[in-house]
Amino acid sequence: MKRFILAFIAAYIFLFVWGWLLNGVLLKDLYAETPNLWRSQSEMAGLFHWIVIGQALVVFSFVMIYASGFAGGGVLAGIRLGVLLELAAIGMRLGFYAVQPIPGRLILYGSIGGLIEMVIVGAMVGAIYKPASAGTS
Amino acid sequence: MPCCHERTRGLIGQEKPQYKEVMSWKKFFFAFIAAFVVLFVFGFLWYATLMHDAHREVPTLLRPEADLKSYFKWLVLGQFVMAFFFTVLCARYVPGGRAGAGAMLGFLVGLVYAGPHLISFAVQPLTFKILCGWIAGAVIQFTIAGAVVGAIYKPAAGHLMYVKERSR
Repeated sequence: MKRFILAFIAAYIFLFVWGWLLNGVLLKDLYAETPNLWRSQSEMAGLFHWIVIGQALVVFSFVMIYASGFAGGGVLAGIRLGVLLELAAIGMRLGFYAVQPIPGRLILYGSIGGLIEMVIVGAMVGAIYKPASAGTS
Repeated sequence: MPCCHERTRGLIGQEKPQYKEVMSWKKFFFAFIAAFVVLFVFGFLWYATLMHDAHREVPTLLRPEADLKSYFKWLVLGQFVMAFFFTVLCARYVPGGRAGAGAMLGFLVGLVYAGPHLISFAVQPLTFKILCGWIAGAVIQFTIAGAVVGAIYKPAAGHLMYVKERSR
């Protein structure tokens, strides 16, 4: 349980910082090209807690999946899980691209950023979380 | 060439015989097709039919109806990609197959994808009704898809390979 919490906190901190760097800094100009698709800065600030909850849900579910099916495989198993989840998420992004007028470049860069994000999250969770039996052996 | 995944792991540096399961590509293919059909049909019923009116409350966020047809191929490709990698995940997670274990994995995967919906709500002018619909949709959709894949996919029966693990 202790390692579960540690893995969750470490991955959450990374996800939060990476999310800000990718969406708030690197892709900022691309988002600005479609202002009608996004809330105003003041509105976003008022709904910021949803971002925090959303990221926590992603990380919590990720660690749960890892702990219940991939634990013991270490860093590589974590990366494998992250890559599989992100590749499936790219499919979901393509679905959003089909129905929302989101620029294709935003989908492309978001997917590349998402892949990097999940590889690192997977590596962190795989490195930190160990099943109870492995911890005692 | 069969694809194997390890079920047991030896200690570092120790040579230890182990069994590896041989992936059944035929069952994988059927499971993948079934997952694609589930995701596609559920997506149509839930998002395009049940949530149609809710989506029309935010017309600026959606492509015009006339444009949707020309972008339909991206929707199909997206569902295809999603179904394929979800089936790979299920095959690795529940290699013995079982509807219940597949459903549990699908439920957790649905939660992973519900997170970005919460984030979208914070940055896009979505309604709370749409947020709830998307979250419920993701969880139900992947739980059903997981149960179906878990029920269909089984590793090749009687094809357990006995191998010697290399010293690491």
